[in-house]
Amino acid sequence: MNIGDIRVEGVSKRFRLERNRPSSLKEAVLRIGRERNSDDFWVLKDVNLKIPAGSFFGFIGHNGSGKSTLLRLIAGIYRPTMGSVQAKGRLSALLELGTGFHPDLTGRENVYLNGSMLGLSRRQTTMLMDDIVEFSGIGDFVDEPVKIYSSGMYLRLGFAISVNVAPDILLLDEVIAVGDEEFQRKCWQHMDKLRSKGTTIVLVSHSTGLMSQCHRVGWLDHGKLMQVGDPEEVIAAYLHKVDNTTNTLGIHSS
Amino acid sequence: MKPQPSPYDKTVRLSTAPFLSPAVRKYCTLVYHFAERESKSRYKRSVLGWFWSVFNPLVSVGVYWFVFGLVYRAVPPATNNGNAESFGLYLFSGLVIWSLFTGLVNGSMIWLSSVSDLRKKIYFPTETALLGGAASNMVQSVLEGAVLLIIMASFSNISWTMLFLLLAMVLALGFGLGLGFIASVFNARYRDVSYLVGIVLNVAFFLVPIVYTPDLLQRESIPEIVRVFAAWNPLALFVEISRDATYFLQVPDWSRLLVASVWSITVFSVGWVIFRNQSMSISEEP
Repeated sequence: MNIGDIRVEGVSKRFRLERNRPSSLKEAVLRIGRERNSDDFWVLKDVNLKIPAGSFFGFIGHNGSGKSTLLRLIAGIYRPTMGSVQAKGRLSALLELGTGFHPDLTGRENVYLNGSMLGLSRRQTTMLMDDIVEFSGIGDFVDEPVKIYSSGMYLRLGFAISVNVAPDILLLDEVIAVGDEEFQRKCWQHMDKLRSKGTTIVLVSHSTGLMSQCHRVGWLDHGKLMQVGDPEEVIAAYLHKVDNTTNTLGIHSS
Repeated sequence: MKPQPSPYDKTVRLSTAPFLSPAVRKYCTLVYHFAERESKSRYKRSVLGWFWSVFNPLVSVGVYWFVFGLVYRAVPPATNNGNAESFGLYLFSGLVIWSLFTGLVNGSMIWLSSVSDLRKKIYFPTETALLGGAASNMVQSVLEGAVLLIIMASFSNISWTMLFLLLAMVLALGFGLGLGFIASVFNARYRDVSYLVGIVLNVAFFLVPIVYTPDLLQRESIPEIVRVFAAWNPLALFVEISRDATYFLQVPDWSRLLVASVWSITVFSVGWVIFRNQSMSISEEP
């Protein structure tokens, strides 16, 4: 495996449904010896995928299809129930607002915290600090606790960290839409720069326009990887499925 | 397509100590970060800051000394040179170990739950939060120990054996953190655990010879089961080692040191293994 490669082999992910979990110690003790209720929910079913270093990869699929779960598995946040996930190199993920921010710490302290989680020393983070603050455009707010930030500021700082630490792999879960037009353009420009440097970028989005810019697109449906390949083909297949579903429901798109 | 080296590769190489692998360095940076955060947040927005960390144990000692020393007229055992026969100091020498221990067990649960949200958004080895918190607590305890030694010295009760206090603290650190590892992962699943631990610690405090001398637990009137427990209680061992070192000024019994070490290492290892196995699922807790 090269640096920047992602390999997903036979991955299934199960979540235990909330109603079947004992919520207190008492309940857990009372349950000992009873048959386990096997009402599990499989978010992902036997997903196999290789994303080569330096590629720009997109995932589409309906809400709850498992896209975000797959991204979290690649980021190492979840552990697969079956199969294995490997991602080589420095991995930076922006999965939801405030990626890895601690609300009580200031923006600057959070940059150090994130930096250390991404494998940077304090000195390296200090060297990157000016770039990060400038890119985020949050100015003096960097020395305020992040709990007072607006959602836009959260995103800006999070994104500024993710892209400025020179990641080998960048995971994005359609968060960029929160930023204003100017910031979105800045993000795309920067991502183009990262791509030209060979960073692997994996993106989850519902925007077919965005997806068509990817090298390759994967379509997830109810936890199964239906199709991987050329953006136009995969998007067409996905939209075809959506059309069929909406038609049977009696909804017509214009 | 072969990725080009990232522009920061050069700086990475320059600033990394050559004997540390990047993974180890990342680990240490995180531990340091959490330790710093814990130390900073402890007395944030307080004017007197670290003064409280010294003041707090002194007040506890004062209260216990009043109740047991003055009201109940407990007689402290004689020190080796007869200089510091004060029940307050006898208490203090045990209390430093106890407060380190409870600080670790209670702290571990707080440290883990304070990073569990973070862990849902970014991967990092969760135990670094506990190791960092423990490091911060250890610094605090060493400060307390220093206060104890200064007071002992002012009574001319001083000797090189006081170095063993540090060993007693390290042993209590391993033991307390081991239990903290276990308590924290279970607390992440069932919040009942923290209440349970609170009660157990309350009871345990009076089963450890801190406000009384160990021989009082071995009297005929004490139930057999309590006597057996008292004889094997690892916390009592750590407390006794601390007392030997700072109060009696004698080298602790080697067999006592050995048993205490075995306890400390075993509990720490078991806790570590349980934590490593269970903590991955913390990001999946609702």
